Amino acid sequence: MAAVSMISKMTGQRFTLACLLTLILVGNSSVLVSGNTIASSTNFFSPNETHQTTSNFTFKPTTAPPAERFPVIVEDFERVETPFIISLWIFLACLGKIGFHMTPKLSKVFPESCMLIVLGVIIGLLLFYTHAASVSPLTADVFFIYMLPPIILDAGYFMPNRLFFDHLGTILVFAVIGTIWNALTIGISLYALNLTGLFPMEIPLLHMLLFSSLISAVDPVAVLAVFEEIHVEELLFILVFGESLLNDGITVVLYHMFEGFSHLGQENLILQDYFAAIASFLLVALGGTAVGIVWGFLTAFVTRFTKGVRVIEPVFIFVMSYLAYLNAEIFHLSGILSITFCGIAMKNYTTRNISSKSQTTVKYAMKMMAQCSETIIFMFLGVSTVHDDHAWDTAFVGLTILFCSVYRVIGTLILCELCNIFRIQKIDFVQKFVISYGGIRGAVAFALVLTIDKEAIPAQPMFVTATIAVVYFTVFVQVRVATSPCLCRCVLLRHRTIDYLMAGIEDIMGMAGNYYVRDKFKRFNTKYLEPCLVREAESSEPKLLETLKNIKMEEAMQYMKNQGHPPEQIESFAALYRTAQMAHVGQPKEGGGFENSWNLDVGELDYNPTDRDISAAHFHHMLSDEYKPIKKRRGTYKRHAVTDEELAQEVPHIAPREMQRKPNLNHHRYHLRKFKEGLNGKAGVPVQKLNGTAIKLQHDYLAEGMRDNPAFQPDDTDPPSYNGVRPMAGKEYKRMSVKGPVLAETTLPWKRDFIVDPPTRGLQVQRRTSIDNNNEHTPTMAEILLPWKRAHDDAVDGEPRHAEHPLWANNEHYVYTDSPTQTFLHMIGDPTKPSVHDVFHRRNSQSSLFSIDETGDDGPDFANPYVGRRNSVHNSPVREPGRRRASASDSRRSSLKEDNFYRSALTEATRRNLLQKEGNAAASDPASRRSASFDKSLEPGASSGSLLNTAIKEEDLSRSSTTPTPSRPEEHVINMEKYDRSKPKSPHGDETQF
Amino acid sequence: MGNKHSLMLQDSDIKSIQADTGFSASQIERLYSRFTSLDKGNSGSLSREDFLRIPELAINPLGDRIVHAFFQDNTTSARRAPHTSDCWVNFKQFVRVLAHFRPIKRNQENKLNSREEKLRFAFKMYDLDDDGSITRDEVLAVLHMMVGENISEDQLISIAERTMLEADVDNNQMITFQEFCTILERTDVEQKMSIKFLK
Repeated sequence: MAAVSMISKMTGQRFTLACLLTLILVGNSSVLVSGNTIASSTNFFSPNETHQTTSNFTFKPTTAPPAERFPVIVEDFERVETPFIISLWIFLACLGKIGFHMTPKLSKVFPESCMLIVLGVIIGLLLFYTHAASVSPLTADVFFIYMLPPIILDAGYFMPNRLFFDHLGTILVFAVIGTIWNALTIGISLYALNLTGLFPMEIPLLHMLLFSSLISAVDPVAVLAVFEEIHVEELLFILVFGESLLNDGITVVLYHMFEGFSHLGQENLILQDYFAAIASFLLVALGGTAVGIVWGFLTAFVTRFTKGVRVIEPVFIFVMSYLAYLNAEIFHLSGILSITFCGIAMKNYTTRNISSKSQTTVKYAMKMMAQCSETIIFMFLGVSTVHDDHAWDTAFVGLTILFCSVYRVIGTLILCELCNIFRIQKIDFVQKFVISYGGIRGAVAFALVLTIDKEAIPAQPMFVTATIAVVYFTVFVQVRVATSPCLCRCVLLRHRTIDYLMAGIEDIMGMAGNYYVRDKFKRFNTKYLEPCLVREAESSEPKLLETLKNIKMEEAMQYMKNQGHPPEQIESFAALYRTAQMAHVGQPKEGGGFENSWNLDVGELDYNPTDRDISAAHFHHMLSDEYKPIKKRRGTYKRHAVTDEELAQEVPHIAPREMQRKPNLNHHRYHLRKFKEGLNGKAGVPVQKLNGTAIKLQHDYLAEGMRDNPAFQPDDTDPPSYNGVRPMAGKEYKRMSVKGPVLAETTLPWKRDFIVDPPTRGLQVQRRTSIDNNNEHTPTMAEILLPWKRAHDDAVDGEPRHAEHPLWANNEHYVYTDSPTQTFLHMIGDPTKPSVHDVFHRRNSQSSLFSIDETGDDGPDFANPYVGRRNSVHNSPVREPGRRRASASDSRRSSLKEDNFYRSALTEATRRNLLQKEGNAAASDPASRRSASFDKSLEPGASSGSLLNTAIKEEDLSRSSTTPTPSRPEEHVINMEKYDRSKPKSPHGDETQF
Repeated sequence: MGNKHSLMLQDSDIKSIQADTGFSASQIERLYSRFTSLDKGNSGSLSREDFLRIPELAINPLGDRIVHAFFQDNTTSARRAPHTSDCWVNFKQFVRVLAHFRPIKRNQENKLNSREEKLRFAFKMYDLDDDGSITRDEVLAVLHMMVGENISEDQLISIAERTMLEADVDNNQMITFQEFCTILERTDVEQKMSIKFLK
């Protein structure tokens, strides 16, 4: 098909049409052949002798041996004739649809139904002129029992309930009064003209009324097909479509009434018959509706118990609504009304009972069946057009069309005026026009006219012809109007508000209006119906929840699409930081907070996420919110597995990460290289360029700090002096052990423990570990939204607990990565793990590399802080992607526990090595020695040393010497030191601190 | 009965109300009969209790807000006479509030039932503290009223947050009336917030 579409693009419409025609011909030739064979076969054989039939059934009967041998191949078309032809039709029609939509010009001008009819006509012509087959297996009965229900069910089930009931009054007026009006006026007008002798035969009034009643009904099939395709606005759609659905009841009643009257004979009618007719009308319409509603509720009730057998959920929906239809038809009630209301009634409850997969199944199966039926009906219409016994009478056909149009317009105008008196939203002129145009007659009328008994009503052929003409006329003349607007969640929410508001106002006014009734029903529904019919009646606003869910899904999809470019509503960590800063310092800092006066601390440096990292994190949280965790399971096979858990693969949750990573991989590498260069060669300045490159940090205070820090200045100019007092100086900070809260933990919101206090004021966040417990700050959106920001009461004795550390970070699949996120996260989770700078630097200074044995066998050794096995293995898993992948796959095999242990040992070792190296640097390099001495000058036991310092020193080291000097463990003290924040810094410290 | 009550309504009153709200005289009489039937104490004015005595209104989740709107409109318009305003609504005020829900007709412009006024009324449903802006907490509170108990707090918060995100264009953590109007731009408030007043 791709090829065809390509060709059609090149050569345009004509070629496609040609293709189409050939396809049709091919299809038809097979039909013809089959038709011939049927004819021949039925002549010769009786159905009983199947074996003989099949063996003899060839195109050259003479060649068949008289003696019965076992046949190699048999042909038994007869057996499959009907389904085969039907399938062929559907196939052809679908091909036709493809072709139709490949020619944009054509599909703009005509609706699809036209194409189908034309296709049907062509097939009909071919069949007719070749005298091939009998017209079709489709009869009026087949139409009413098999073809119509799917279409109507589709319409009823996906009916916009709200809209429908909003305009129910108007729809009823159109359906009941409009149809009766049309039937009477058309019938009487035709009869009057008949009296003048304009038509070839004498038609009694009752026959004429019979005809007019069936011709006056607007056909739901045609309306659906046409209106859905040309996207009329929703008000118009619901008016015309609702009318077409409901007037079926009227049509059927009128039809049966006049048919019965015709049989009785005009002169035999007594008053009682008329009353009986009216009673029958009410019974048919209301009875059909009632039957439908009962079956609808039954369906809802049954689906309440299908939790164990999800697979058969759609079956109930289809079969029970079909039963509703047939049940109504048993008593000649309106099956259409029945199945419509069955759909409407069950929908609200079943959608909440059945699984989402079943919902999708129902949706698609319903649409598909409806499309098939529709296709067949229209093609059937086309095929049936071509036959011998047309009784074409120009006057009759022309006048019928004329009266249909004219009375439709007149009726619409009158009824619109009538409705406008009661309507708030008036029907304007254009809408009136469209409504009157929307009176599309279709297959229902056609099927009804075919059921007319030819003996009883001699004018039947003329009626058939006229009906076909009217159908063609109404289907082919169309209009186009604007599309309908879509609702967003806010509007949805406010609609609900407005509903309640208006209901309240109506209460105050003491009137029983629309809203009043809706309100009443809603209450009744929540109180009695839902507990019965819905399995988990969890909320009074299922739609709200559904909308929320959909929105979440959409957002997740959106994230998948624009990875690395998160929408602005993400609360960035930088923003979080600002909020925290504002809360602590009292006034916001311009330019995002990190000014000269800020000392960069480990805690502050450890998480400076890129956009991509944040989006990845956010994405994962969203996924973890939305989806259940994937369980490890053995590869069992279940034939009826349909639910998510059952179908889940082992590693599907890796997919998002892979998808997120891949496109950015190159950038990532590039960035690392740049960073390396920056640190190696021209210190400081190139780092700033990082901002513009691939990884864009949310708030690049790292680079800022580097720029402002004298240690990074290429020339040793005087550093900017500190005012000596940190912004935080006003607060008292308790010096703590290594395990105590560092500055970052007290400053940054995500470092703290949270106590959620939901009742009235949203969230109140209390800091537990720091001394000033009074310090609350307004919760930011992220804190409220993100689950890992919220309360965890299991904190252990003041130990900083990093609950925000997302769960997936512990996922073994994420640990084998050299992304900054990973290393940063290590920092959050475990301060003994290396920060990103360690990793970067390790890549830098190849000579002083301390690598780790990849196999992990030596893991426990590294736990010893000062072992520092240098140069044991030169290929670190971090450095080499290929190896990393290998180890990752290994780890998937190994158990998680081992893995974690290995990992922590590994990172621990890395860090030790780095520390050692730093010591070396301090010993060899004067600059770093100076910084070290400063660090020492600070009070011992204060917060742990900055790893940035480490990085700087290492950078110095790599400049000065490439060979590592022997390690001096005592130098490590500086890194574990903490300084007292309450104490103003000595001015000379500014040289090295930044 | 309606006739008797209408006798209590002076012609001049009807005229002034007519001019003020755009109701026809017969509509005003009809409203007046409703007003008096609500007014159990025959005091010529309605208290909150009078309103909440309507059974449907009492269980309407927004009932309180709706009733409050009657009084609130009162406080803004009757600042000059603060004593009478707070706990009673007289007929004029009653009609004035209801006039918001008259359908908009092209030929007769009235400031009370304009689109903006209708929107403002809806806005008031959310603006719990009457400060002219809707905060997240207010959205949450209204959600609480409407959806009842069995929806989880998290979900409600999530909905409220999303509402804020969508509505709050200038990111000041509150929805102003302007922003509110922008959200409802595509809704036919004129139709949704109109009642067919009987002639």
